[in-house]
Amino acid sequence: MSTVPGIAAAAAAPLLEVRDLRVKVGGQEVLRGVSLAVRAGEVHAIMGPNGSGKSTLAHVLAGRPGYEIVAGTACFEGRDLFALAPEQRARAGLFLGFQYPVEIPGVNNAYLLKAAVNAARRERGLPELDAFEFLAVVRAKIKLMQIDESFLSRGVNEGFSGGEKKRNEILQMLVLEPKLALLDETDSGLDIDALKVVADGINSLRAAERAIVLVTHYQRMLDYVVPDFVHVLARGRIARSGDRTLALELERRGYDWISEQAAA
Amino acid sequence: MSTPASAVRSDILDRIMRDYEAVAARLPDTAVPRELRGRAMRELSRLGWPKASDEQWRYTNLRAFEHVPAFAPVVLAHAAGAAAVTPALELPAPLPGFERLLYIDGVRAGAAATAAAMSGPEWPAEQRLGLLCDMFASDVAALRIRGTSAIEVLFLTSGAAAGAACYPRLQLELEPDSQLQLVERHLGGPAAPTLVCANVAIEVGRGAQLMHYRLQQCGAQTVFTDTLSARLAEAASYSVRQVAIGAASARTSALVRLAGRGAAFSWQAIAVGRAQQVHDTALKVEHLAAATRTEEVFRGIADERARIAFSGHIHIAASAPGADARQSLRGLIEGAGAEIDLRPRLEINTDEVKAQHGATTGALDENLMFYLLARGIERSTARALLKWAFLGDVLRAIELPALRSAAEHGAAGQLPDVMAIGALT
Repeated sequence: MSTVPGIAAAAAAPLLEVRDLRVKVGGQEVLRGVSLAVRAGEVHAIMGPNGSGKSTLAHVLAGRPGYEIVAGTACFEGRDLFALAPEQRARAGLFLGFQYPVEIPGVNNAYLLKAAVNAARRERGLPELDAFEFLAVVRAKIKLMQIDESFLSRGVNEGFSGGEKKRNEILQMLVLEPKLALLDETDSGLDIDALKVVADGINSLRAAERAIVLVTHYQRMLDYVVPDFVHVLARGRIARSGDRTLALELERRGYDWISEQAAA
Repeated sequence: MSTPASAVRSDILDRIMRDYEAVAARLPDTAVPRELRGRAMRELSRLGWPKASDEQWRYTNLRAFEHVPAFAPVVLAHAAGAAAVTPALELPAPLPGFERLLYIDGVRAGAAATAAAMSGPEWPAEQRLGLLCDMFASDVAALRIRGTSAIEVLFLTSGAAAGAACYPRLQLELEPDSQLQLVERHLGGPAAPTLVCANVAIEVGRGAQLMHYRLQQCGAQTVFTDTLSARLAEAASYSVRQVAIGAASARTSALVRLAGRGAAFSWQAIAVGRAQQVHDTALKVEHLAAATRTEEVFRGIADERARIAFSGHIHIAASAPGADARQSLRGLIEGAGAEIDLRPRLEINTDEVKAQHGATTGALDENLMFYLLARGIERSTARALLKWAFLGDVLRAIELPALRSAAEHGAAGQLPDVMAIGALT
């Protein structure tokens, strides 16, 4: 596969392969030909200025309605991702960490987590977890994310601070153990302590069989979750790809020079 | 007994008057003084039967009343030799710490009436169905409370009430600085059409606090109507948590007057309808004194071909500077033939008020739906969860665990998909 500079030599088949993806929102083309290959074991960072299409890419891959896919393909483990409903994508092992997790008072966290875990297990042909097994699984992850156990009986994200919501997103990811995690600006709004906790959670999930795509505006998250590849999205296209040094260069120089190159 | 010539006549009004004439002499004065019954009869005759063309009654299922076979209270039918009254339903478990008063078909079971009846309010035209209960009531739960108390008044419609009417009647005077938790519950299950026509009159004394839980779980064929009047003195607090899930057709009409400075009123209610149920609520709050507060929350779900209406009218008089009124009305239409009508109305006649209202009706929130789907949850399960969450604000405001559980199971019973996923806490 040679769709992404710098990883052409990699041998394994991509877990996620996006080819020439074009997407419109409200009649306007937001993604204008994005190609990306992500293999198991890799961590990719997708950076870019506001409005470059980063979040659109994450949400389109997760199946959010409201986007018009004009052209292009996305394959996840060889399956046509766009042929799957959002819940099927999730059960197949794709996880979207939301930039703005919604609050759902009246649905408690434990119920959501258990329902989600068991939906994924059914998909994999595994027996569902009973209440005791579920609690055993979730308790260890709660501890890692430094969340009080009482949160399990609270409504989903109800009354949570911004940092608590992001920790809850990562907790859900840890419990669900996806094959591919798309984390949409998980670092936004976090203070440094919360950022470290979230980063520890993400790092704990790094594994040879799993891939992580971090969508972020800033470099600081990448000090803690070190990416294998960095891509810069500008004007709906991947304008540049490289290793972690690219993120450091962006930190020094900002995004304007890349946006100008993309416009040229 | 004749009606004034100026009366607006209708077949149903004629039937009501005939039924009243037939039983008036046998109705107990202890429940309603005879002169009050007569006055109610004359007032209803003067006002006439409500018409659907009137805005206040537009969403009420008035036709359901036309199918009520008889307006005389069922207890008189028993006295004439009909089947003995036997509860057709198992009674709910007692609430810990609550004294229970049980009324079967509108009559106190196993004890005499609680206290002498009070005169009761004069019902305005939009609450004229209250006049029916004034005319026909067979008993009254009359409570005068001083200090701290917890009382459950259980109104049960028995199988013997099938085809007849019953008139639950509750009068409460909460004395100054007293506190009461009051549970008012209407249960029933007879198959034949039955009218349950309840009146509730409440006076909350200075500095007193009343928490009033209201659960309406009448039988599927019942025509239910309740008419509530409450008056709050200075610094009094009155909170209502209402769950309306039963009956073929239900009309709640409430008028709350915040008469004393600093009086505070809270109304949090849900209505869940399915099949062809009709739930219609008309709540009017009058801010008559300074620094009075109202908070209204309503959540309605209409499934299948159900109709749900909520009219929230808040009137802030010139005598009520510093009033604070908030309304949040939301409806969820689940059935293709379902209908929800929410009518917020703020009428402000003074400066220096805080007022806000919001009313939305529609389908489930797509953002919330996507969040659940993105966690791999089945679409049908996600829908059920979100429906349940929609009612969550109000159900969680029921602070008594046993009652909240009863309300939750009752509401979930109206939503089979919610029951199926076992989301109840």
